[in-house]
Amino acid sequence: MMKLEKTQLTLGFSPLTDCAPFVVAKNLGYFEHWGLDVTLQKQNSWATLRDKLHAGVLDAAQMLAPMPIASTLGLGVAPIHVVTPMVLSQNGNGITLSEALVQELLSVNKIFQLEFPLDAKLLKNVIDYRIQHNKSKLSFATVFPYSCHHYQLKDWLLSGGITFDDVNISVVPPINMVDTMLSGDIDGFCVGGPWNAKAVRGSFGATVVTSSDIWQDCPEKVLGFLSSFVETNPNTVLAVCAALKQACIWLDSVPNRFETAVMMSQQGFLGEPLEVITPSLLGSCLTQAKLSPRSVPSYNQFSTTVDGNDVNNPDVEYGQWLLQKIQSSGQTPDGIETNGCIERIYRSDIYAQIAPLLEKLD
Amino acid sequence: MASNKNTKNLAQSAKKLRILLIDENTHRAEIVTSALGNSRYEISHLASPSGTLLRQVDQLQPDIIVIDIESPSRDILESLHTIKNIDPKPVVMFSSEEDTDTINQSIESGVSAYVVGDLEPHRVKPILDAAVARFREFQKLKTELSDTKQQLNSRKNIDQAKRILMKNRNISEDQAFHTMRKTAMDTGQKLDDVAKTIISMFNSL
Repeated sequence: MMKLEKTQLTLGFSPLTDCAPFVVAKNLGYFEHWGLDVTLQKQNSWATLRDKLHAGVLDAAQMLAPMPIASTLGLGVAPIHVVTPMVLSQNGNGITLSEALVQELLSVNKIFQLEFPLDAKLLKNVIDYRIQHNKSKLSFATVFPYSCHHYQLKDWLLSGGITFDDVNISVVPPINMVDTMLSGDIDGFCVGGPWNAKAVRGSFGATVVTSSDIWQDCPEKVLGFLSSFVETNPNTVLAVCAALKQACIWLDSVPNRFETAVMMSQQGFLGEPLEVITPSLLGSCLTQAKLSPRSVPSYNQFSTTVDGNDVNNPDVEYGQWLLQKIQSSGQTPDGIETNGCIERIYRSDIYAQIAPLLEKLD
Repeated sequence: MASNKNTKNLAQSAKKLRILLIDENTHRAEIVTSALGNSRYEISHLASPSGTLLRQVDQLQPDIIVIDIESPSRDILESLHTIKNIDPKPVVMFSSEEDTDTINQSIESGVSAYVVGDLEPHRVKPILDAAVARFREFQKLKTELSDTKQQLNSRKNIDQAKRILMKNRNISEDQAFHTMRKTAMDTGQKLDDVAKTIISMFNSL
């Protein structure tokens, strides 16, 4: 067993379906097994989670995949070097349109039923119709400026010839997403589970596309540490990664995923019932009330993709891809130096040290 | 538009400072509101902001926003500047945890937000006083910086316009400068504006 530099840790997570690896590692005793005494701290705001990690109040945190890059480059915050030694999940987001917008979409396009994944060109027709008839712009929400959600919504709209200038874009916390749509303030959103399923169960909207329809297999949540923490506590970092990797492997099995959904609903991790949490974990995308769910086997991926690839390796290529998305969204100020930064943030070299540790277990 | 805004600002300075308090704990909000009873602060409370927060900020134009650091709505405030290009509003975050100092140090530089301890009634007023002073100082620094940038730009424009005149009319640098200054005086424009006109005319040729 490695000698751990620090054993008592506080880990921050966001109450979403893809916090599953944290729930599993805690409930199945994986953290304990690696000699760690972990306190899980639920965080309601990404900005606050980030600030607490930066301040060292949290030792590690579940972050949106672009966040370590934003932190290191100092986007929206004072720059501090954050690294990710491990990806925690891929995909998991969906775009849901309000029931009113769905009706408008059907009538403008003179169709009777939506086909999934929805072609964004049909939405473009609605936007053109609204311009011709002097009606207001459509409004969409994502969860954070530096999130896959933001770039996925942008890319999906672009696939239909719609730019962010053609719509209103705002940020709404996931937990308030469905209510905000009900209040009429937004016409659609891009969010992670369980909030798309919640909207469909309540007959408030239709989930027309999932993130894996937009980008195939991209990191969604990653494990973030301060670089300074990694330098002073290298073995502790490996132990946390090993425990979470074990949890991710356990989550590859569908029966285990159902058990995870039960843990999450019973222990109040998400504050939502089983019928809302379970579908995406089982590869089912609820589409619209009274319509059949759609099979999306890669909806949530934790350890191995449907094609047999490793989900958890923080490959530099993913980091580069996300940096490109950040840049093409105009979120990097002029003159900011990005050359070589991803290699220092997406750290496959640390991840590579976990497999030998797990092999010793068998 | 600009002059309208100025008059509005002047009128406001005599008026009370508007605080938007975002707190799901209604009881605490009541205590805070009553603690500010006879002060220069005027408080509006929002219990469940979600969708309405942006609209509230727009309508109310608060001078300061006070929010629980654990509130999900913090991400909405965070996005005001990055996505909406709205001028950042001063934000005071309160936290019942003990680590406020460390969090503060990490967000301090460059962001017009800061964290205070728990919102105890007797501390509310001094906290807001300190926040107002601090944000004004920050704003002053920012204005100075943008003034300096503006001056640099204007010098660049004037130099470029001079070179254009010298080349096109075959005159000396002094003559070019005098021509521009005379135009500025004759037409009641700033030298920088005359320079910009010359540059854009030259570019459109």
